[in-house]
Amino acid sequence: MSAVAEDRGWRIEDGGSTAASLRITHHSSLITHHFPLRPHVDLFASGINGAMNRRPAVECQSLPIAAADLSVSRWDAIRPRIKTIRLTFPAGMDFLPPPAPRPEGEAIRDAAAVREGEAPAEPRGGHSLASLLPGQPVAGQPVPERKPTRIKPPDDAVSLEDRLFYLLQPPLETWLKGQELIMPFEPFPYQYEGIAWLFSKKHALLADEMGLGKTMQAITAIRMLLVSGQARRILLICPKPLIPNWQREFKMWADELPVVTLEGDFARRQLMWTMPGMTILLANYELLVRDMESLGDQPPQFDLVILDEAQRIKNRDSRTATTARHLPRKRSWALTGTPIENRPEELASLYEYMEVVPPRATPDIRQLTQLSKHYILRRTKDLVLTDLPPRLDRDEVLELTPAQRLAYEVAEKEGVIQLDAMEDAITIQHVFELVLRLKQITNFDPLTGESAKLERLEADLEEIAASGGKAILFSQWTQTIDWLEQRLGRFGPLVYHGKVPTSKREPILSRFKSDADSHLLLMSYGTGAVGLNLQFAGYVFLFDRWWNPAVEDQAINRAHRIGQKSQVIVTKFISKDTIEERIDRVLQEKRRLFAEVLGEGNATSAKLSLTASEIFGLFDLKARHGKGTKPIAPPTPEGG
Amino acid sequence: MAGNGKQDQFRLGFLTAIDVPERGFVGGLLVTNRQGRPLEFQCTTPVKANPTQQVLYGPTLTPFILGELIGGVLVEKACIKPHLILTDRKPILELRNHIATPVLWVALPESEPATDACIPFESIEIPLGKQVVRIDASHAEDRGLIEQEAGQLPKEADLCEPFRRVHEALLETVRGGASR
Repeated sequence: MSAVAEDRGWRIEDGGSTAASLRITHHSSLITHHFPLRPHVDLFASGINGAMNRRPAVECQSLPIAAADLSVSRWDAIRPRIKTIRLTFPAGMDFLPPPAPRPEGEAIRDAAAVREGEAPAEPRGGHSLASLLPGQPVAGQPVPERKPTRIKPPDDAVSLEDRLFYLLQPPLETWLKGQELIMPFEPFPYQYEGIAWLFSKKHALLADEMGLGKTMQAITAIRMLLVSGQARRILLICPKPLIPNWQREFKMWADELPVVTLEGDFARRQLMWTMPGMTILLANYELLVRDMESLGDQPPQFDLVILDEAQRIKNRDSRTATTARHLPRKRSWALTGTPIENRPEELASLYEYMEVVPPRATPDIRQLTQLSKHYILRRTKDLVLTDLPPRLDRDEVLELTPAQRLAYEVAEKEGVIQLDAMEDAITIQHVFELVLRLKQITNFDPLTGESAKLERLEADLEEIAASGGKAILFSQWTQTIDWLEQRLGRFGPLVYHGKVPTSKREPILSRFKSDADSHLLLMSYGTGAVGLNLQFAGYVFLFDRWWNPAVEDQAINRAHRIGQKSQVIVTKFISKDTIEERIDRVLQEKRRLFAEVLGEGNATSAKLSLTASEIFGLFDLKARHGKGTKPIAPPTPEGG
Repeated sequence: MAGNGKQDQFRLGFLTAIDVPERGFVGGLLVTNRQGRPLEFQCTTPVKANPTQQVLYGPTLTPFILGELIGGVLVEKACIKPHLILTDRKPILELRNHIATPVLWVALPESEPATDACIPFESIEIPLGKQVVRIDASHAEDRGLIEQEAGQLPKEADLCEPFRRVHEALLETVRGGASR
C-alpha cells in the first residue's frame, strides 16, 4: 500500500492471495471501490507466461468524486432589485402670507356682505347669509361633516405622471381651510367643485349662472396653479368696466397675489406685456386687440389666459376673437354666464379659442352638446343655491296712455308703409330702426312726455322708498335714463351708463349703497349688466326689454346673487299690443334654446335663432332677403 | 415647492403598500410639506416573495418585504427625505431597524389588512395632528424627536387622509400597467 494514499485518507485492502479484487475506501465516506485483480491477459502461442501469477502493482491516485453525490442546496438572502417610479412635483411660487383671517364668528357674520364686495354691515333683518354658509353651526344643530373635495385627473390627462399629479393633490379643503391658502370665507360646496374642476383643466369654460361666484372660483384656481407650480404667468382679459371689480375681488380672495393692471401709454404697456415676473396681468379687451397688433409677430407667452365675459368672442371672425386665439398659452379658460346668446354656433368660437375643436370647425348641435359635457361646467342657482332668496318675476303688461297710443299707431303705420314702399331695397336695418322708434314710444311719448311705464314705476318706487329699499332700473337708452332722472328726483336717482366717466362709476355705486336717500340706480344694459355686485338692492325694473334674455338675466343678477338677503322682485314692463309683446315672445323662445344646448333641457331641437323672416314678421312683412340668421339686435352690451 | 428653497421645511413621508393579487406588493411613498401638499412621490413595481422566502421567513416575511425591501428602497431613493415617516401598515415599522428616521404607525378608520392585524406590537402612543400615532417600543428614543417635530404640524392636520391619496395613486399605477 502506498503511504501517500494513506496520508490522503485512503485505505487500500486486498482480499489476500485468493482475493480477486482490491478494495479502496476513504475514511470520510462509506464509498468503496472495487477493482478487479485478475486482468485479462493475452496468452502467447507458447502457452507460457510467467508473469501471470504476479500480483499487480497498484498505484493510488486522487480522483474527483462525482458532484451529484455530494450536492448541497444553498440560498443566499440577496435583496432583489426593485424598480421604482418617481414623480417630483414642480416648485411653486412663494408669496407673502395673506393677512390673518379675522375671528371666525366675526367673519362669518359679515360674510354675506363682504364676499361680494360690500362693506361689512349689520344685517338688515331677515336671515343673514351666515346662517346659510356651509359648515357654519346653526344653533342647536350638529354640523354635518362634508365629504372633502378631491381633484380628479382630467379626461385628457393620458400620461401616468399627469394623472398622479392630480390624484396626489390634497383635498381642496386642506389647501384652503386655514392651512396652505387662507380664504376669507368658506366657499360653498359647488364652488369647491368648480375650483377643483378649473384647476385640473387645460381647456375650460366655467359657465355658472350669474351670481354664483365665477370670479372667486377663478381667482382661487389661479392661486392653486401658482402655488403648485403649474403656472407662472397669467393673463386675465375682461371688459373695461369690470377691471375695478376684478381688482377688488383679487384683493379680497387672494391679497398676496401680485396683480398688475394694463394701463398707460403704449410704451408703458409694452413693458408690462413683456416684463418677466409679471405674474398676473389684468387687461381689457380693447387694449388686448390694440396692443397685440402693435406687438406684431412676437406676442408675449402665458401659462394661462382667462377670458372673462367670454361671449365677447362669440363671433369667431371678430378682431377680439382672432386676437385671443393667437395668444400663445398653455391653458385656455373662459368665464361667462351666457355662453350662448343667440345661436348654439356661438359656442364654436369659444371652443376654437379653447383649442378643443380645429380652426374653422363647425360642430353640429349634437357635437356641441357632447363637447359641453367635457369642457363646460355650468350650475344654476336653483340647483346649487337652494337657500338663496327667491327671485320673483312679474310681467307688468301696461296699456299705453292715449298720447302714446296715438303716437305709436301713427309711427307704426307710417313705418310699415315706408318699409313696404322700399320693396326690394328693404333691409333688416330698416326694420330694426322702426322697432327702435316704436320701443322708444312705448317708454314715453316724445311730444307730451306721457308714459304709462313711468306712472307705474313711480307708484312702485313710493312703496320701495317708504320701506327704505333700493331698486335698479335698466334701459336700453341713455336718453330714457336721463329723462327718468329728471322726473324721479324725489327718489334720489343715480345714473350709471356709458356716458359716465369710468373714474366716477365706482363712487356712484358706493353712494347708492351707502346713501339712505338714494333709492334708485338708473343703468344702461351696456354698462350695468355685467360683473357688478348690487345684492343690496331688492328690486329690479326692466323699463324696456333687451334683445336677448341672457343679457336681461345678467342685469337681473346684479341684485339676485350670493349675498342677497331678501327676495328680489323683478318687474318687466311690457306695453300691451305693441312691438314689445311680440319681442317678448321671441325672448321666451330664445330662453328655451339656451337651456337645451347647455344640458338644461332636451337638446333635440333645430337651431332657434332669429331669422330674417321672423324679424320681418314682427310687422307682417315678408322677408325680401330672409334666408339668413342675422341678428336683429345691436351688439351685446360691452360696457360704456 | 419641491425642494427648491423649501427643503429645509418640515416634511412628512406617507409610506404604504397595497397587495395586488397574483403580483405581490406595490409600495408607495408620498413626501409632503407640513400642510400635506405633495413634494415627491415614488412607487415600486410589484414585489412578490418566492416559495423559498415564504418558507424561510415565516411570520417575518411581510415585515421583510414591506419594511426592509419596499420601504428601504423607497426611502433610500427619495430625493426629498422626510423628517418623519408615517405608515398605515404595521409590518412597515420594520423599516425603522434599517434607517435612522422615526417610523410611526397611524391607524386608519378603515379596517386593517388581516395580515397586519395579527402582528404583535408593543407600542408607545404619541399625539400628532388630529391623530394619535404609535411607534415601536423598541425605538422609544424616537419619542422625543417626534414630540419636538409635532409642533410644526397644524393641529387640524389629518394624517390619515394622505394615505388615501397614496392608495389611489398606487391603484392608478397598477391599472396603468406602469408597475409591471
